[in-house]
Amino acid sequence: MSGHPQAGVVLVVEDDTELREILVEVLEDHGYRVVAASNGLEALQRLRDGGMKPCVILLDLMMPIMDGRTFRTEQRRDPAITDIPVVMLSAQLDALEAAREMGVKQFLEKPVALKQLLRVVRENC
Amino acid sequence: MRDHEPDTPSSSAPQDAAAAKPPRSGPIDFRLFVQSVQDYAIFMLDPEGRVQTWNAGAERIKGYKEGEIAGEHFSIFYPPEDVAAGKPEAELLVAAAEGRFEDEGWRVRKDGARFWANVVITAVRDETGRLVGFGKVTRDLTDRRRAEETLRRSEEGFRLLLGSVKDYAIFMLDPAGIVTSWNQGAETIKGYTAGEIIGRHFSAFYPPEDAAAGRPAREIEIARTEGRYEEEGVRVRKDGSRFWASVILTAVRNASGELVGFAKVTRDLTERKRAEDERLRLAQAREAVRLRDEFLVIASHELKTPLAALQLQLDSLGVIADLPERAVKQIGRAARSGARLVALIDTLLDVARVTAGRVVLTRERFEIGAAVHEVVDRFGAEAIQIVIREKGRVEGSWDRLRVEQIITNLIGNAVKYGAGKPIEIKIASDGRVVSVTVTDHGPGIAEEDQGRIFSKFERAVPEQHFGGLGLGLYIGRQLAEAHGGSIEVESKLGTGATFTLRLPIDPPARSAEEAG
Repeated sequence: MSGHPQAGVVLVVEDDTELREILVEVLEDHGYRVVAASNGLEALQRLRDGGMKPCVILLDLMMPIMDGRTFRTEQRRDPAITDIPVVMLSAQLDALEAAREMGVKQFLEKPVALKQLLRVVRENC
Repeated sequence: MRDHEPDTPSSSAPQDAAAAKPPRSGPIDFRLFVQSVQDYAIFMLDPEGRVQTWNAGAERIKGYKEGEIAGEHFSIFYPPEDVAAGKPEAELLVAAAEGRFEDEGWRVRKDGARFWANVVITAVRDETGRLVGFGKVTRDLTDRRRAEETLRRSEEGFRLLLGSVKDYAIFMLDPAGIVTSWNQGAETIKGYTAGEIIGRHFSAFYPPEDAAAGRPAREIEIARTEGRYEEEGVRVRKDGSRFWASVILTAVRNASGELVGFAKVTRDLTERKRAEDERLRLAQAREAVRLRDEFLVIASHELKTPLAALQLQLDSLGVIADLPERAVKQIGRAARSGARLVALIDTLLDVARVTAGRVVLTRERFEIGAAVHEVVDRFGAEAIQIVIREKGRVEGSWDRLRVEQIITNLIGNAVKYGAGKPIEIKIASDGRVVSVTVTDHGPGIAEEDQGRIFSKFERAVPEQHFGGLGLGLYIGRQLAEAHGGSIEVESKLGTGATFTLRLPIDPPARSAEEAG
């Protein structure tokens, strides 16, 4: 499954365990290093403590503890991580508008096809 | 002057008091006292009515000096019309006969100005009863009269005002609750004329059950003891109809504190209450819609997230090399099932969006034919012939995704109900409106069903024959209307159906970009 030369880091922020695990799995299969977080707060901690700088953040919108919107607000406030591109991945009604308001780079509607997911990640990493 | 003092037995007018209570035993010169009184003109007339004496008050009130007036007939003080009517002489006759005459009326000053006077003429007789003349006491009441006139006018104005008020029933009750006055507003609100209701007890305005329960009496009692009773409640008109009223009952007491009755002000709040109820219902409906939207947002998230995991897993399974053919087939079927689930969920969400008026149109300029071709291409897998006839390009400003969705619904419908026969699509424009007609040659739709098919969860045929939620035409019509357009159907049983989508080429001038 590998054979992709890129070794960029992708941060996956998704509260649904199964979806998070398959995202991690397929991205790793395609040669990416993946860091996973199950909500916005955990994602912020990974970004700040881990010292890693992902090439893209795949961000869910609706999550417990800290949702995608709040995470995005926090991220934009923090100069160290503000310029990491964010791809929003959501099934939420009117998520397109939310994506526009949050100033994310791209928006993928759930469910997303594998090809599309890989294309978007490749564009950023 | 003691001889002439007007203290005759028949004279007891209080106006005379200042002059008529001589300190008989005191040392004060009574003539001096009378002469110096300023507020009353006090003077004597001889039996024929000629002025004999004069005082300071007379000079001040009437304007004559003693030298000017002595010996003049007192009719000089009367307006010409009274003189002509013989009023001065008549007054003397009454005073002579009855001992006293009192009058209020206009009198004339030396300068011709009139003033409102209180006049008391007293016959003065000697010990033998012979008339020796008349004592006359005159007081200038012009100021008092002006004040009274002002008060009378303002009271009259107030009565007129109350009488003509139309929005409030304003009326009086006596202490027992009997209606004693009635205004225009009372007639309008309660339906009784003044003649019909004055004299009746005000319990007539209450629903029979309230009257029987003694409410009117209780309310009057509260107003009597507390000064005021106020409530909103049901009242009854003459015709028996009920209305929602605001009522204020106020006890009215006279200067000595005695209860003289109650003032009642009633306002018809039916309209206000109806509006309030309406607002409440609207708020409840909005809340219900909000809760449903919230539910749908969550449901959409909860339903689509596992589908996303499913799709990614199927996709990644699908790219594994050297899978048995059977597994590839099954993965394909699983993927298609997943896609159908996604489509159904999207349809449900669309219904929620269009019914909640939350369709936000993202307009862009595009060519309608291109959109039709793209949608038709997606139906490529269906083994049905689709013929597109178009005359030239028609560009307009629409929401491309939404327009494609409408066309997809129409073609999907034609495919589903078209009995496998070819489907025709025609694109036409009159320069203002573009029309896309989709014609199938299926069984058609009975006339009585044609209106119904655009409703939610409706279809013209029994559902066991066809899948789907029956929401496509409903959503299509809502989306068309959000664009300022329409969808209509023409059909005859047995010859198929033609659906026509019409969209204005340019957005409506006052484009409400949100539907509903």
